[in-house]
Amino acid sequence: MHARARAFVDAFERGDAAPDFDALACDLARYQAEHAPGFARLCSARGIDPSALARADHIPAVPTDAFKLTRVATFDESETAVTFRTSGTTVGARGSHAMRDTSTYAAAATAFGRRWLARDLTRPIPVVVLGPSPEAVGDSSLGHMCAGFVRAFGESARPEETWLLADDILDLSAFDARVATALAKAQPMLVLATSFALVHLIDAVGDATFVLPPGSRVMQTGGFKGKSREVPAERLRAELARVFAIDERAIVAEYGMTELSSQFYERTLFDPASTHGVYAEPPWARVVPVDPDSLAPVPEGEEGIAKIVDLMNVDSAVAILTQDRVRRLPGGEGFELFGRAPGAPPRGCSIAIDELLGRG
Amino acid sequence: MPMVRSVESRVDDVRAVVRAARAVVDRRDALAPAIVESTGLSSAGVELAMTRHLELDPTDDELRRLVAHAGDASSVAVILSANVFVGALRAIAIARAASTRIVVRPSRRDPTFARALVEAVGDPAIVLDEALDVAAVEAGELHVYGHDSTIADVRARARPSVRVLGHGSGMGVAWISARADLASAARGLAEDVIVFDQRGCLSPRVALVEGPAERADVFAEALHAELERQGVLVPRGPLPADERAASDRYIATMTYACRALVGSDHAIGIAPPGAPMVSCPAYRHVHVTSCATEDDARALVAPLARALVALGSDDEAAARRLAPAWARVSALGHMQRPPLDGPVDLRDPT
Repeated sequence: MHARARAFVDAFERGDAAPDFDALACDLARYQAEHAPGFARLCSARGIDPSALARADHIPAVPTDAFKLTRVATFDESETAVTFRTSGTTVGARGSHAMRDTSTYAAAATAFGRRWLARDLTRPIPVVVLGPSPEAVGDSSLGHMCAGFVRAFGESARPEETWLLADDILDLSAFDARVATALAKAQPMLVLATSFALVHLIDAVGDATFVLPPGSRVMQTGGFKGKSREVPAERLRAELARVFAIDERAIVAEYGMTELSSQFYERTLFDPASTHGVYAEPPWARVVPVDPDSLAPVPEGEEGIAKIVDLMNVDSAVAILTQDRVRRLPGGEGFELFGRAPGAPPRGCSIAIDELLGRG
Repeated sequence: MPMVRSVESRVDDVRAVVRAARAVVDRRDALAPAIVESTGLSSAGVELAMTRHLELDPTDDELRRLVAHAGDASSVAVILSANVFVGALRAIAIARAASTRIVVRPSRRDPTFARALVEAVGDPAIVLDEALDVAAVEAGELHVYGHDSTIADVRARARPSVRVLGHGSGMGVAWISARADLASAARGLAEDVIVFDQRGCLSPRVALVEGPAERADVFAEALHAELERQGVLVPRGPLPADERAASDRYIATMTYACRALVGSDHAIGIAPPGAPMVSCPAYRHVHVTSCATEDDARALVAPLARALVALGSDDEAAARRLAPAWARVSALGHMQRPPLDGPVDLRDPT
């Protein structure tokens, strides 16, 4: 199954047509129903016979909450190579995503990251991560992905010159030193950062600027999670463009989550026709807006909850149900992301437990 | 110099409110359709709430405690919430105990019962103002019932000279001890779940079952049967679309994680042993989980503690050990019938 999933990545990198999406999605669903009893139960409860599946749309989606309650995996715990965990909140449970083979994940992440962040680069460039090192947070899928980008796109540098956030404190002097060297060598930089780290940076810089070399770009991901003040996306982007003296289009948002093995990117860096808030999907993942009640796909152009079929989730759940609101654009242009569904409005004085658990 | 009201005088005023509530209940057939319409409860659900969950026979001792709790205010403006419509009785009773000048603003969505109650009291001290602007209240107290966001909004708009007492969102938890008779505990808990379609701040949403996972399974099965049986007598009101989505999501999550028991008008999720708490919707959904010890139970509900206002159990002494200091502790089957001795929610309202 991993080899078949990798074939999508290889074809993408060669510029070849992708293999049959539905065929692999359905085979993965059958495989997962056979090896993950929870998924078999879910299929049964939905009245779906995995052996009869023919379309990815028909695969029952596993809600992301299931990753908090139980192991979503097709393999024995002893075979686990790494377990990624959601960042969670102060009180909420953390979701876990176990993998026994991270090479498929890494290949897909790097291939699609290169497409939307680094396809124009002809040689390694300075890459800095405004986030903690994988040694500090070994269970972070984001850290794992960033480490892959550092290896794939970055020039050689010491870890302390690359990973610039420790205990939520940003090492601005190390960042400054990397920028100075890059400016002297006229090298563009790639900055990988969480939204809250970028807010800390903006707050630290104030009205001053932190000019990046020409051609630099920023990948921004994740929310604020109570670690900084919340800043609307447009304002954050405008502030970053001012501080870094780069075009707003060079600030690229990434959408991903621990429960997935694939990521989605804004296309603004390389596609002049694209706008912020619109995300590209790789040929191995589909974002399907579904009606939150019926779970049926909504008509094109309508907003729904994101059901994501991810062929790289070989050993976990090929289809997951998020709580994010999305809308597909016509003509395979990708999808718009509107953020977390607000949940049912409160009725009566019974509390929404989500509020207590932080919706993490 | 303001007139000092004696405790007995205040108790008498509250008794008058209770008598009026009885009169409203006596003519409930005329009111029920409007309440069904506004609350979304079934007719049987409205009947159940009015006949079993209105505190129509308080003892003198309970009323004295209510009066002591109410304190004294130059005036009270009462802002009521929707859905748990019988809450108007307690809210008005507390206000009347505290003051001789009361203004009641019923919920816009659900004014019927409160309106009928104020009319039935016929007490010039209590007036109805369905358009009351909280920002226009100049002094005294504002008693606000409803969701936390409503209370925050009222606090933001109230004048500094006004004391705002907020009674916000909450939930109940059931503790099924190792010595519980599971069938009896399930019967009691089902009664607590069904009333108000589990939308009250005392409504139990989580059942912690002491013992091994198999015992939680047996309890869940018994609860499933009871909810099915009682649901026939008191059907759930129609589920709004967004609540159906939340229900489906919860059921799918629990089906994957361990097990879900889905009835005509309810669902029970059985959590895997040791699993953390996850979101469980209202509208007759119960999250059942086994706990080896009381300490396990305490750790599990810790994230919910600030909203935990009621703990029901077959073992009230154990429940008291588990409950936050402010929570009401009661027998199963009585979680939604607290005595008329103060607000149902005993958290600090300031």
